[in-house]
Amino acid sequence: MDIQEYFSLVFSDYTLRTITLGTAILGAVTGMLGSFAVLRKQSLLGDAISHAALPGIAISFLITGAKDSNTLLLGALVSGLIGTFWIRGIITKTHLKSDTALGLILSLFFGFGMLLLTFIQKQPNANQAGLDKYLFGQAATLVESDVWMMAIVTGICLFVLLLFWKEFKILLFDKDYAKTLGFNTKTIDILITSFIVLAIVLGLQTVGVVLMSAMLLAPAAAARQWTNSLATMVFLAALFGAFSGVFGTAISASQNNLSTGPVIVLVAAVFVFVSFIFSPSRGLLFKQIRFIKNRRDLQLHKTLAFMYNIAETHDDISHPHEIKILNNFQGFTKGTLKKLVEKDYVTLQGSTWSLTNEGFKSASNLYNQLTKNDE
Amino acid sequence: MSNAQIEIQLIASLVAIACAIPGTFLVLRKMAMISDAISHSILPGIVVGFFITHDLGSPLLILLATLAGVVTVVLVEYIQKTGLVKEDTAIGLVFPALFSIGVILIKKNADDIHLDVDAVLLGELAYAPFDRLFVSGVDLGPKSLWIVGAILLITIVLLVAFFKELKLSTFDKGLAASLGFSPVIIHYGLMTVSSITTVGAFDAVGAILVVALMIAPAATAYLLTTDLKKMLFLSIAFGIFSAISGYWFAHWLDASIAGSITTMLGVLFLLVYLFAPNKGVIAVLYREKQQRTEVSLLTFLLHLKNHDEERERHVNHLNEHINWQKVRSKTVLELALKNNMIIIDNNIVSLTSKGDEFTTQAIDYIITNEDAQIEDMKDDFFLFRG
Repeated sequence: MDIQEYFSLVFSDYTLRTITLGTAILGAVTGMLGSFAVLRKQSLLGDAISHAALPGIAISFLITGAKDSNTLLLGALVSGLIGTFWIRGIITKTHLKSDTALGLILSLFFGFGMLLLTFIQKQPNANQAGLDKYLFGQAATLVESDVWMMAIVTGICLFVLLLFWKEFKILLFDKDYAKTLGFNTKTIDILITSFIVLAIVLGLQTVGVVLMSAMLLAPAAAARQWTNSLATMVFLAALFGAFSGVFGTAISASQNNLSTGPVIVLVAAVFVFVSFIFSPSRGLLFKQIRFIKNRRDLQLHKTLAFMYNIAETHDDISHPHEIKILNNFQGFTKGTLKKLVEKDYVTLQGSTWSLTNEGFKSASNLYNQLTKNDE
Repeated sequence: MSNAQIEIQLIASLVAIACAIPGTFLVLRKMAMISDAISHSILPGIVVGFFITHDLGSPLLILLATLAGVVTVVLVEYIQKTGLVKEDTAIGLVFPALFSIGVILIKKNADDIHLDVDAVLLGELAYAPFDRLFVSGVDLGPKSLWIVGAILLITIVLLVAFFKELKLSTFDKGLAASLGFSPVIIHYGLMTVSSITTVGAFDAVGAILVVALMIAPAATAYLLTTDLKKMLFLSIAFGIFSAISGYWFAHWLDASIAGSITTMLGVLFLLVYLFAPNKGVIAVLYREKQQRTEVSLLTFLLHLKNHDEERERHVNHLNEHINWQKVRSKTVLELALKNNMIIIDNNIVSLTSKGDEFTTQAIDYIITNEDAQIEDMKDDFFLFRG
């Protein structure tokens, strides 16, 4: 199946439609909430939480003995929240730093989860197969009820987000100010963190424990490059996330042996890459172009200033001089000379140049009026 | 104990030591999450190396995987330097991408290679004794024992040789740089050692356990001591202890050894986190409570010094006017009595000469903004703490 075929099938084929819808919704909600995680400098929290959710899945399977994805995800939610609050406890109550706390909880919970998973595998219970799909995720196992679940949770997230938009925003950018205004920052904080945990848990089935953090980060990091407004960023992140989901599913469905989770992550990574380079205000490409342009401007000024210094010593400012004498000094290129001619600052005659009146005037004001744009 | 069991415990202990040494420095340098990133992103290096050599223990594979680890560090630092995203976001972006590439490479070539993502991530220590090293027909023991042993040896030699430099650059980067030790070289040296350790250990114990073995023993030790040498020894001891106890726990449970060692590390950390003498949560909470009571005591004494009228010095006044709860006023009164700071006569509280002296000094310190001195003063005056 190639990609064209995929897009013609996506509306008619039940499985494809479910998976595509599921990954799109997932990408949107993680992108949305990921924006907050990224701006709160909690980028790696997602990684820790998703790993910390694993023992919850195993324990809830051990208790219920059933593979119903909702109960398993409930277990994941509980253990993810325990992990999150333990991380906060470590950071606030001891002198261990946040990265140590994250790494600790991540590896310890994951190791414990693996212990439980291998323990379950040895149990004489035919029902246990397939728990390891939560490690790397299997979008193919999504069914309609899962998608409904995602849609409902996304709806709730969106509702709460809009309801507490002001509070979230102020907490994000000025926590102390929010406190002095009388907002209960602790509650809002817990609310945001809980939603982030919820979004991660939702994605476990599709993308898996290991790669879930990228779903949270990548769309938000990409969106951050295009805007400085929180609302736009959240919207863009949701959009990028949804597109990563759809494209990722399309690519993995059109090839054999391609798991959906890693492909979605790679598509999201491409979004980040493109944004890093091509974003107009922050992107590396335009930054470099601006840098080069500034350097050219400076060079132009330098040449003009040098010419001015020479012309100043003569009574007639338009007295012609050899181009060669410019060569002894840096800052002269053919390009800059041509530019000066274009601006009527300089006239060229054969191998000599002479400053025009206008050129003299603007050169003498060069360092007085830095704001004046010479371009 | 059979031969294989001894070998497994030996390998696990060696890995624990090899991880604890760089781990200590990673934790102290606040770079713990880098080890997590490295452990994931070595995957593409391993896969490519495996395509070429078809042997998980070959030096080329270890080299390629180490390279992938160092590339991760360089990429993360490059992204950080552009300033486009915050530092930790850079880590979170790089390693999932590299890991995804690794997973896809494995899945696309699943027919050709016998390499399982699970195996890379989790390892299987139980099989380590079966992959043996033969030199001209003589059985020299398990291959991973040799690999891990060699890495451990390198790590120890480097540690001993550069201990002073590492210590200095960890605690005072500026001083280290001004004394002529290049922080960049030390940084990348440490990163390379971490990568090699991760790569050498993943085969035996899996990438996640490597992270756990690097961070958890060091973090646990850090809660118990602030001396670098003691911290190194403690984290090595914790590592070995959990390696061996974890092995037997897994043996009893018939489950993954790596998972069980991690669980042991977790239990160890939890115990220390709760009960560490000075920095454990219980000690911290106790100290916070003590300080609260002592601040209340000071407030109360100041109040007494300011008021001569009996109305203000009545025991009930505490509840009625200072708005303290009954229990709190009782603890504060008892503490003051025990320390001979006050006498209670017919429910009227008055300062003793000692209490008066204490309060006068405390006021002096408060006016001159040297509140910290009060802590030292408490040692002189208090017979009992709050």
